[in-house]
Amino acid sequence: MKLSQIGIQRLLRIASVLVILGLGLEIISLLWFHPLSFVLFAFVAASLIGLGILVYLASLVFAVSPLGENRG
Amino acid sequence: MVGILVCQIVLSIILAAIFLVRPSLTTGRAWKIVAFIGLCVLPALCIVGGMNTHMQRSEQAKFCTSCHAMENYGKSLYLNDPKYIPAQHFQNHRVPPDMACYACHTDYTIYGPLKDKLKGLTRIYMQYVSTPPNPITIPGGFKNAQCLHCHAGARDFEENPVHSAMMSTLTSNQLSCISSGCHDSAHDASQVDHLKMWSPGQ
Repeated sequence: MKLSQIGIQRLLRIASVLVILGLGLEIISLLWFHPLSFVLFAFVAASLIGLGILVYLASLVFAVSPLGENRG
Repeated sequence: MVGILVCQIVLSIILAAIFLVRPSLTTGRAWKIVAFIGLCVLPALCIVGGMNTHMQRSEQAKFCTSCHAMENYGKSLYLNDPKYIPAQHFQNHRVPPDMACYACHTDYTIYGPLKDKLKGLTRIYMQYVSTPPNPITIPGGFKNAQCLHCHAGARDFEENPVHSAMMSTLTSNQLSCISSGCHDSAHDASQVDHLKMWSPGQ
């Protein structure tokens, strides 16, 4: 397995963990009927999910880069 | 609506868990598409859906009164005296009872709900970080536009000689509906425990 692939897979794992954590917190915020539930959703859950998406998109950039180098 | 969102969240968690356990699956073309859906499209939709659900939920009166500082304001909706404007509106369904707070306190503009949410966040900050004001006041005061949103154009409001004589001062907010000696009995939250209450169905 290439070194870059290991890096991509690590990024995918990190993205998955962040998305799962964020979505788990989103479910808690939906079940919890309290003004703080919005704070939990907006500042913690949504941030984790957003970060997870960014890490996933970063892994796509890494996945494309080595292929480009091979073609060149 | 919340059920659909929860199903979407669960599906997204399952897909993310698959890529957590087997990230090597993404070497295949079909799994690349599944990963894009599971780690990008669905989570983004979950954020949008969650925001929408939270915004709708915060319009409910029981959401407002779930905050300790608002308990007495919620109770004041059950005051058994028609001179209290919020109680009169709530008990006679002049506002939707489940959205009673929102109906009279929202900013009826394009970005009104967003502004209200930001105001709500500052109140949460005051409650948990700094000190909440006592008594609770509305920044900038209660605007007539919130009354006129429903009453303007209504026959009994427009044909009332007192209202028609001062219509321009009311619409320009120079004279307040609730603090000019006309309709000045609002929540009276500090006295609510000593006043007679109405219980539905009595």
